[in-house]
Amino acid sequence: MARIDVSHVSFAYPSIQEKTLRDISFSVDQGAFIAVCGATGSGKSTLLRLLKREIAPLGQFEGEIRYNGVLRDEMSEREAAYKIGYVMQRPEQQIVTDKVWHELAFGLENMQVPQPVIARRIAEMAAYFDMESWFDKDVSTLSGGQKQLLNLASVMVMQPDVLILDEPTAQLDPIAASAFIATVQKLNRELGLTVIMTEHRLEEVIPICDKLLVISQGSVAAYGAPKEVVPRMLQDAALHSVMPSPSRLFQAVNGEGSCPLTVREGREYVSAWTNAQMRALPKEQETAHDKAALEMREVYFRYDRHGADVLRGLNATVYENEIYCVLGGNGSGKTTALTVAAGLNKPYSGMVRVFGKKIKEYHNQSLYRECLTMLPQDVQTVFLCNTVREELKDAEEGMALLPFDLKPYFDRHPYDLSGGEQQLVALAKVLATRPKLLLMDEPTKGIDAASKMKLIEILKALKQDGMTIVIVTHDVEFAALCADRCALFFRGNVISEGMPRAFFAQNSFYTTAISRMTRGIFDNAVTVEDAAHLCRVNGKARI
Amino acid sequence: MMVIKNKRIRDIMRYVIPCVLIPLLVALGATVFSAKRHLLISMGVAILAVLLFFAGFERKKTGSRRLVIVSVLTALCIAGRFIPLFKPVTALTIIAGMYLGGEAGFLVGALAAVLSNFYFGQGPWTAFQMLGWGMIGFIAGLMGGLLKRHKALLMIYGVLSGVIYSFVMDIWTVMWYDGGLNWQLYMASVVAALPHTALYSISNFAFLWFLAKPFGEKLERVRIKYGI
Amino acid sequence: MRAIERLNPIALTIYFLLVSGRVMFSNDPVLLCCSLMGALALHFALHGLTGWKTHGYTIALFVVMALMNPIFNHNGATVLFVMNDNPVTLEACLYGLSAAGMIVAVLYWFRAFSFVMTSDKLLYVFGGISPRLALLLSMTLRYVPLFGTQARKVSQAQKALGLYKEDNIVDSFKAGLRVFSVMVTWTLENGIITADSMTARGYGTGRRSRYSLFRWRTEDALFLILSLVLCALSAIFDRAVVYYPLLQIAPLTVRATIGYVAYGMLACMPVFICGKEAVKWRVLMYRM
Ligand SMILES: Nc1ncnc2c1ncn2[C@@H]1O[C@H](COP(=O)(O)OP(=O)(O)OP(=O)(O)O)[C@@H](O)[C@H]1O
Ligand SMILES: Nc1ncnc2c1ncn2[C@@H]1O[C@H](COP(=O)(O)OP(=O)(O)OP(=O)(O)O)[C@@H](O)[C@H]1O
Ligand SMILES: [Mg+2]
Ligand SMILES: [Mg+2]
Repeated sequence: MARIDVSHVSFAYPSIQEKTLRDISFSVDQGAFIAVCGATGSGKSTLLRLLKREIAPLGQFEGEIRYNGVLRDEMSEREAAYKIGYVMQRPEQQIVTDKVWHELAFGLENMQVPQPVIARRIAEMAAYFDMESWFDKDVSTLSGGQKQLLNLASVMVMQPDVLILDEPTAQLDPIAASAFIATVQKLNRELGLTVIMTEHRLEEVIPICDKLLVISQGSVAAYGAPKEVVPRMLQDAALHSVMPSPSRLFQAVNGEGSCPLTVREGREYVSAWTNAQMRALPKEQETAHDKAALEMREVYFRYDRHGADVLRGLNATVYENEIYCVLGGNGSGKTTALTVAAGLNKPYSGMVRVFGKKIKEYHNQSLYRECLTMLPQDVQTVFLCNTVREELKDAEEGMALLPFDLKPYFDRHPYDLSGGEQQLVALAKVLATRPKLLLMDEPTKGIDAASKMKLIEILKALKQDGMTIVIVTHDVEFAALCADRCALFFRGNVISEGMPRAFFAQNSFYTTAISRMTRGIFDNAVTVEDAAHLCRVNGKARI
Repeated sequence: MMVIKNKRIRDIMRYVIPCVLIPLLVALGATVFSAKRHLLISMGVAILAVLLFFAGFERKKTGSRRLVIVSVLTALCIAGRFIPLFKPVTALTIIAGMYLGGEAGFLVGALAAVLSNFYFGQGPWTAFQMLGWGMIGFIAGLMGGLLKRHKALLMIYGVLSGVIYSFVMDIWTVMWYDGGLNWQLYMASVVAALPHTALYSISNFAFLWFLAKPFGEKLERVRIKYGI
Repeated sequence: MRAIERLNPIALTIYFLLVSGRVMFSNDPVLLCCSLMGALALHFALHGLTGWKTHGYTIALFVVMALMNPIFNHNGATVLFVMNDNPVTLEACLYGLSAAGMIVAVLYWFRAFSFVMTSDKLLYVFGGISPRLALLLSMTLRYVPLFGTQARKVSQAQKALGLYKEDNIVDSFKAGLRVFSVMVTWTLENGIITADSMTARGYGTGRRSRYSLFRWRTEDALFLILSLVLCALSAIFDRAVVYYPLLQIAPLTVRATIGYVAYGMLACMPVFICGKEAVKWRVLMYRM
């Protein structure tokens, strides 16, 4: 019996002429795990929101959505609210109350469940999600990963049949993200929950999903088991970069035989391609570094006089004219380190120099006017005006740099754009200031793979022009492609640093899928190109 | 809570209770009973009035979006009380009442008072502060249309509400201390509080001057976009 | 957590209203002293020997309050001396002392109350009045710290974009307004996400039930009943005190004594509860 039937659904937002969704049809079996993917602005969020009646966007809707044969709009109020759980992209904004326990109880209170039953259900759920140690805490003290887990748990206490997740891991570090996805998988397996989930990082999701739904410009480009869909999508130029790296490697090498999807299958595939002639790529050339653009020595910082140190003796040097990527867990202090580097927070001990001058010596805001700009983690903090046009009034230069056309968004309010589009507008605004040192905090969150590639090109071009760029990111694949040097942040300090190939070859979690896949076979293949090159050089092993 | 069926009567009651009944009761308390009792009565009335509003809020169906906006404004008020010298509390309460209606105005004012006093000192004055700020918001809601159209009126209302609020709170302080209302003591406390009252009115004026319009535009936008 | 903090919040709230309310409506010096002692003892039980700055302010307030009355109030028969043609009377002085003492006592009670009433307790009490109000409160309490951090983030982001031109006052005032304006947009727009998340979890489908970590235990009921009885006793056996024109205190009868003892017990209840627990722990630790 099909659980969800979507037939011929089209949708248009009132303010936009074109239809955002066009004639979408698919059906989901009970207990299935569906992954949804597609480019930025292709309409994934819109589709998922339409599935949940309470939060369906206002606009012109055509077609039918049925749950167990009942039309979405004819379901009873309670059924519609409680049987379909929904977790959104931004962990912070979904939390309603101030205490963890109250947040868990919130949905059940709405269902008018009696107190003893609420007590039992949230106890059970807290134990399942291992939340006991922070059950009494204020939500403002939780880390990003904990917040998102809380969101999931507070939906799960209502015992839904269907769980819809819209990019739930966008703000999480790689380890927290895979833990989160593993939890979702466990729910799917153990409770028979139907799961529909969008993701930009498909490596983790494809191995566990039953079906893959690919959306392209508002219509279904493909729907089926990943085994069938992925090879087909690899042929599509627009969607190629969205697919998981093992499959892209497969295509880059020759594309014969069965396409590997998971890291494990990828390993088998690669091991067939080696006869141990060449295990490693040459090391990247050390560029001669002479002048430091940013220097931090023994920096200690805390937010609160009585709180714990957030930065603990941080030492880092970024040289002029390089791209320096910082990776690290949620709450390890990366954002804090950037604000200290930008002179926005003052360390209580230690030294920060920008282009050889202490931050104190830059008077009258000349630091920000002449040499340094920061793209904050929350890009909404840079928007001041009511339309994108006003926002970008002084940003001609920044826009010229971007290979994206922002003109179509000009008359919209910045908050009416999709997450990825907001990120791009903020980027244009920041680039327009033409800094010598650019600090970026998670510039790729919410952006699809194709836009990421374009962003890498821009950054490299800017580097050619003499800009120094520091990037904090959770996106390992992105860092592997664009960094000159990478650093791993842990408990307020940089604990390891290196050129991408050496750096990622050493890590086992903070590393790319390709690196994990080729471990023990190749020594330092990090990107798809690296591995493909090595495979081609080695040729197929004769068995 | 009694339930009144007729909508007209209910509406009338909603205006009569805060605007007529409460001042009447206070005045009665002042003349009929002895001074010490008067304090008791005025406190009782203040608490009752606040409870009455809260009960009304429970009965009404409030959508989640409206609820969120009220809570956001209240939180802004509380956060605003941390700004040194210039306090935007009253201005924000007036804006809330003006754009979201009297009930929302009352809630924002009253809740901001009771919650922020957990940071700034709780006391018997909390009940009066709740009623005072609540009423400022409520009346702004009643005059919403007028205040939106005439900026001058809005400014006058802002300044006046600051002054009157201070004077009334002084009456209460003196009563609490003295038992009765000693005029000399009252004048002294009014004079002592004069710089504070002036600053208070000035900040009301300034915040309303700079914030009312942009704030209103933003609220309107959200209202249109999400159909609240 | 001390024993007093574990009591049911409703019982606790009523207790504090009773103990401070009773002294607010009395001008009996004996009662006042009892109240002040109880409040101070509770303060030390909760905070130990700290907070001397607050004590300093309170003493200053006490002095000012005590002096105010004789300066402005010239009732009373016993003239001590004449100041600027105005008589300063003994009765007015005594009344000033008593009123100042009352205000200080009430301040200490409320301080202790604010300290014990953490946000989830407040929520429980308000939830009794209206579950919806409790929700509104909880949401607001969540937003307050969030706004603090967000305002700082906005201000930093704007600063890093080079929007603060100079280090002067006019510019920082403008910048402050700008931050406030961004904050308003941010909070309103993101509030909608919160609202969606509420609706998605069934808010508005009907009446709400209420979950809370607090329960009514026998101790709480006992505590509440005892407080009510003691307060009623002390109110019934009130001892009349008149300050003007001459200080007149009703004679100390058995009834008045009962009233004092009852209020004294009422004021000492929290300290007693805390103390009992401390002793119990000592004994337990000793046995271990
Ligand atoms: N409230 C709105 N009003 C008008 N247009 C909107 C609104 N929300 C989204 N859109 C537009 O609809 C299109 C699809 O948006 P949607 O958020 O569904 O994209 P998405 O696939 O989820 O993208 P992302 O990967 O960036 O989250 C985008 O072009 C977006 O600009
Ligand atoms: N404004 C603040 N006040 C108090 N503590 C803060 C503040 N901002 C961050 N912290 C704390 O400092 C620590 C480091 O936070 P930070 O935001 O720098 O982490 P991060 O590495 O950027 O994490 P993420 O990857 O989630 O962005 C966290 O434990 C956080 O709770
Ligand atoms: Mg989306
Ligand atoms: Mg960060």
